[in-house]
This record gives sequence, structure tokens and C-alpha cells, in this order.
Amino acid sequence: MISQIPVNLLRFFLLLMMQILIFSNINFSSFINPYVFPLFILLLPFETPRWLLMVLGFFSGLALDIFLGSTGMHAAACLLIGYLRPFLISIITPKGTEFEISPNIYGQGLTWFAVYLGVATSLYLGFYFLMEAATFLNFFFLLIKIILSAIVSVAFMLIFLYLFSSKKVRRFA
Amino acid sequence: MYNLFRFFLRYHLFILFISLEFFCFYLTYRTKSYNQAAYGNFASATSGRVFETYTGITDYLYLRRMSDSLVAENGMLRQKLLESKYDKKVDSTQVTDTAGRYVQHFTYITARVIHNSVNQASNLIYLNRGKQQGLTRQMGVFNANGIVGQVTYVTDNYAAVMSVLSKDFKVSAKLKKSEYFGNMHWDGINSTTATLEEIPKHVPIKVGDTIVTSGFSELFPRNIMIGTVKKFWTEPDKNFLNVTVSLSTDFGNLSYVYVVKNFGRGELQTLDSLTHKND
Repeated sequence: MISQIPVNLLRFFLLLMMQILIFSNINFSSFINPYVFPLFILLLPFETPRWLLMVLGFFSGLALDIFLGSTGMHAAACLLIGYLRPFLISIITPKGTEFEISPNIYGQGLTWFAVYLGVATSLYLGFYFLMEAATFLNFFFLLIKIILSAIVSVAFMLIFLYLFSSKKVRRFA
Repeated sequence: MYNLFRFFLRYHLFILFISLEFFCFYLTYRTKSYNQAAYGNFASATSGRVFETYTGITDYLYLRRMSDSLVAENGMLRQKLLESKYDKKVDSTQVTDTAGRYVQHFTYITARVIHNSVNQASNLIYLNRGKQQGLTRQMGVFNANGIVGQVTYVTDNYAAVMSVLSKDFKVSAKLKKSEYFGNMHWDGINSTTATLEEIPKHVPIKVGDTIVTSGFSELFPRNIMIGTVKKFWTEPDKNFLNVTVSLSTDFGNLSYVYVVKNFGRGELQTLDSLTHKND
């Protein structure tokens, strides 16, 4: 468990830098705003206590807010993901599955990860974009923006996972 | 008491979630008025440093494009110099500025854009100039092509600018030809267009007409380019035209900007407060 801390800390800084210097900086179009940052919370160890998930979600979101000038909006969305993550994992995982320490793309497989990331990212972006717009006007614009951004974000997240995951799957004895 | 304790024990996670979530909402919508700047100042000081380092690296990639635009602007400014004009009057006395007839009303502080975005609902731009270089809040920002935004936060060496592409940005604009004025704001979707309101129906207008700043607000001097009329239409139950403005500033490609320092601003604000006191 102790060895998980430096790994996650490194991942936090890597994702934060990627998000603010690359993904929030390239301005694809007004319909596509990719956010890979929620991956930090989604890849925390399975055993992380729920209160810690929420606290980490809140503070990591606040760190992102500082750089993107959005005061509190990413904190709220990351917090939501941290709160809902245990429910989401228990829903999409078949009973009696063996778990590694952390979610790993070589352990859980692509299908599990695509569903996991897809649902979590849609929730994150939906919550964030609604908060940002603070209105239900232009609802179809928002809906298209959420769907397209979620697809692109998940694609980038999967690329990140294939690049940075360790192939050795450690299972509990 | 025991029941209350048991309730907290049972729902402590949900209570933690809700209370943190409320705190986030408080943070978000507290700064909506752009008045309390404590968090904003701290944030722009931290991120300003990171963005400046990053821009220092990526600047090299855009050197050619940047120097091209600077050369073009120099050419334009050179045209405006007195030396490049031919004096048609043959026999007349020249008006010189020795009697102090012209007083400087605006000066322009150059700044470098170190961070920029165009696809949020409220876009922020960071500049590498701040309090120590004479920037304060609510100064207008423009570049060679047109208006860019308004300074919202300043720290010692950096400033955050609310871009024209923000929900809360409004600017007083006029038709250059007929001098009719209205309020312009961004519609929130497309980074190349904005909406001009309050132009009366009877005003002659056509597609392609130039729209410039009116000079009525203390942000910008008169006649700074904003854009051109893209389309306009009327609705039967309204007395005003709906005008879509095609913005002349390319917000995806900002490098150097000018910040407007208005020397008449203090006096205008005093006048404003005096007028409102008597209401």
C-alpha cells in the first residue's frame, strides 16, 4: 500500500501538467474540450477509503481550478467522481472477480475500462459543463459538447493507460 | 442524542460529500461578480509563473508568425506618422503642441499573452504584466486586429484578462458610419462572432459595416476595431435590431496585446458617484 503513494503522486503531477499545458491549451473546437485529469481519481487503489477518495478528489480538482481559472468547478466535478466511484465499480464488476491493487488496463481488460471511463467521464463532463454554463439554455449544444468531449477524453485516457500501465498484473494471493 | 449521533455515523460520507460540494458551489458562484479577488489573485500568481515558463519554451515555435504580424503593424503605424503624409496646405501657420493644447488621455502598455483559451463558457487570458508595470483592474485590452478583453485580476507581475469570449463581458460599441451605439456581448458558442444589441430599427445598416468601440465606457478609447456586421434581422415585436458581429480579433492566435491606461478614469468615476448620489 505504501508503494502506491509515489506512483499516484507522480501520476497526479503528470496528468495535471498534461491537462493544463496540452489538453486545455490546444483549443480543438468549442464542441470538444477533452479532460484527462479525472483519470487520477479513477486510478486510485481499490482499497482507498471513501472519505479519502472524496478529499483527494476535492483537492486535486482545486489544484486544476487554480490553473484553469475556474474556481471550484473542477473541484466539484472531481468530488462527484470520488463519491460515485465505489458505486460505479460495484455495479460494473461481475461478482467474484479477483482484484489487483489498482485498476489496471491489463488486469480488468479493455471492455471493463471503456465502460468505467465512459460513464465516469460523461458524469464528470456533464456536471462540469452544466456548472460552467449555469443555465439549461442551449441545451442541445451542451449535450453535443458533453458527448463529443467524453468520446475524445476517453480515447486519450485509453492511450495514456496503454502508455503508462505496468504489464505485470499483481493479484492478491 | 444517541439517535443524532447514530445518524451522523451512518451518513458521515454523504454529509462530507454534500458539505464539500456546497463549498465548491460557494467558491464558484462567489467569484461571479469579479469583485472578490483574493483567490483569483493567488491563483493567477501561481499559474502565471507556470504559464510564463511554458510560453518561454513554445515562443520559439511561433517566432516567424509573430515577427510577421509585428512588421505588418509597424508598417501600418508608419503610415500614420506625420512624415509619411503630404501637406496640401501651402501657405499656412502650423498648429504646434507648445501651448499644451493636447494632453495625453490614454497610454498603452504592451504585454505578452502567456495563456489563452477560447472554448470555455468564460475564457481567461493571462498576461505577463501586473501591478508593478502599472496595470489595475478594469483596464481594456486590445491588439492590432481588435479588442481582446478587460483586466479582472492583477498580481505583482501578472494579470488575468476576461476575454471578449466571456459570459460577463460587455462593451459599448457603435456603427462607425452612423455613430449609433449599443451593447455588445458574446453568445457563448462560436469564438468568431458576438451579438450587438440596442441598435434602433430605423438605422441604415448593411452586411460588412464596421463596428468600433464607442468610447463611452472608460475601458477603451474611441474607434478601436471590434468587427464587421455578419448578419442582422428584425423581430416584429421588438424595436431593436439583432446584429451578429463577426469579430476581427483572432482569439485563437494572440501573442502581443496593448493594455489601455485611461488618465481620465478617476475623474469619470468621481463624476459617476456624484451623479448616482443624487438619484
